[in-house]
Amino acid sequence: MNHTTRVYDSVLDLLPSEENPSPLVRLNRLAPAGSTLYVKLEWLNPFGSVKDRAAAEMIADLEAQGALRPAGQEGDGDAGRGIVEPTSGNTGISLAGIAAVRGFPMRAVVPAKVPEEKRVFLKLLGAEVDVVADAMCPLPGSEDGTIGLAKTHARASSERYAMPNQYENRANVRAHQRTTGPEIWRQTEGKVTHVFVSLGTCGTVTGLSTYLKAKNPAVRVIAVQPSAGHAVPGLRNTSELAVSALYDRSLIDELIEVDHRLAYATAVELAQREGLLAGPSTGLILAGAQQVAGRERVGLGVLIGCDGAFKYAQGFAAELARQDEQTAATGGLRQAQPHVAV
Amino acid sequence: MSATVNSDRKPVVVNGGPRAGEAQAARRERVLVSVQWLQENLRTPGVRVVEISVDTKLYAAGHIPGAVELNWNTDLQDQVRRDIVSKEGLEALLSARGIVPSDTIVLYGDHSNWFAAYAFWLLKIYGHADVRLLDGGRARWLSEKDGVQRPLTTEVPAVRPSVYTAHPADTSLRAHLVDVLGIVHTRSAGLVDVRSPDEFTGKVIAPPGMSETAQRAGHVPGAVSVPWGRAVNEDGTFKSDDELRELYRTAGINLERPVVTYCRIGERSSHSWFVLRHLLGVPDVRNYDGSWTEYGSVVGVPIER
Repeated sequence: MNHTTRVYDSVLDLLPSEENPSPLVRLNRLAPAGSTLYVKLEWLNPFGSVKDRAAAEMIADLEAQGALRPAGQEGDGDAGRGIVEPTSGNTGISLAGIAAVRGFPMRAVVPAKVPEEKRVFLKLLGAEVDVVADAMCPLPGSEDGTIGLAKTHARASSERYAMPNQYENRANVRAHQRTTGPEIWRQTEGKVTHVFVSLGTCGTVTGLSTYLKAKNPAVRVIAVQPSAGHAVPGLRNTSELAVSALYDRSLIDELIEVDHRLAYATAVELAQREGLLAGPSTGLILAGAQQVAGRERVGLGVLIGCDGAFKYAQGFAAELARQDEQTAATGGLRQAQPHVAV
Repeated sequence: MSATVNSDRKPVVVNGGPRAGEAQAARRERVLVSVQWLQENLRTPGVRVVEISVDTKLYAAGHIPGAVELNWNTDLQDQVRRDIVSKEGLEALLSARGIVPSDTIVLYGDHSNWFAAYAFWLLKIYGHADVRLLDGGRARWLSEKDGVQRPLTTEVPAVRPSVYTAHPADTSLRAHLVDVLGIVHTRSAGLVDVRSPDEFTGKVIAPPGMSETAQRAGHVPGAVSVPWGRAVNEDGTFKSDDELRELYRTAGINLERPVVTYCRIGERSSHSWFVLRHLLGVPDVRNYDGSWTEYGSVVGVPIER
């Protein structure tokens, strides 16, 4: 592969690494005065999100163990052995993309609240998709729901599926130790002072924090979480993190909670004022970074731009309609942006 | 919830001392089995395992070896009028699965046995003698936290149909709207609302995304809120009798008097009905299966928020 000419033998050569990092783009209008913020555009990874990293690492592990087999390898009618995974969408899409290239089956178990666009992308990449109704009054840490159905497939059809389990798989952490951390260090020439992340499986925060703090213990890692009752796909409030074994509070300098309604509103600003087509989780992270930058100088902050706007067309449609209504209600005057109060 | 039941920290004496403890243990043994017991008894003649899960995809994806399935929606409800399955309907269901009245039926399902508890209630209405729940349900079977990976299969067992004869319905286990309205006026029984706090206070009519709903939000006047999930531990197994007793006492439910449980469509309330009737041994407990989808839609009945 040649990252200069950008001519490749396989889409998998585009997976991010220190030699082929995802881009860092400076915010020129939305960074509070005196602070410098960059967004790491993870949606430019080949399957559209930060999850490409964990997916590639987990699959490499399974392939090294001989746990995966392309369909047809053992003759006609061999369905192969692939992957089943509970996912809110992005990990599933990354796994399905790699599975499509490698030729093994992929089954994604998603909660009903996952945006329709993500379900379509999963099917577009050839995955079988099971949709599980969201629990009515779920027990914290319960093995019901998506995890229960995925585990059931993995155990009852073990000849057909392995389950990487991104919530417990250390390869998820290793991916960020090996790629995201070193990329940020190299791209900022070691000058990074703050990293802003969100929390899902916690693989990103645990991996990159381990790497960056070894390089410079003064780097501040700040996790932004949506307020309770949120509807930001893929993110978890710490009260919901019982299911992730990868969460390590000691690697996070500060946890800040941001009104979940700012996720879409701030992502709209990213698009309209910076030309960045980021998804709602990146909007939430920016809202958190702006809060911090209003309180302390952020010398060089890096925001993990988890994914792009394309998978949230319906969510953005609703947000834009809400803003139009608000504009009409205030006599055509655009409301002051809600996050600026810091 | 604290494990210490007595605030004065004296030894716990419930219903008259050590013998009562034995009676409680024996009562649990009659209606609950552990995952260990079930794994050892999968091939025991006369033990029949039945899955009833809210998510009806689960059985096909993988079930406990030898288990047959009942569908909560299409099997356990009358498909024309709103009612539980008829005696004849239940006989046909169990006959097709080769179950006989002398069998030990072990029920399990997702969400800590919501619909498994509903099936338990239904089987008791029609007089099946030996019905038990798998403590902790499907999630407990799946869990490897004790270091054991228990088998699941996609293989549907071949069964030889039987001729199952049920008893006439025992109506004393079921509350109807008229009974609940009577209780509202006379307060002759405790009313336990087992839905989530937001449903109880009327903030929502039903949890988001649920198709079965009601016209109004709130709760039955006089009902107390004891969400079903407070009866189970983190792994979905039932809490101890002492903890359960304290749970209902703290909520103001007198366990010496009749109790009626309700929820939205009658499945979560079956879970609490099971706790009250079969774990705590409260003599008169009825499940109001019409629940909020009926009560919250009736014209003119009193509602509290």
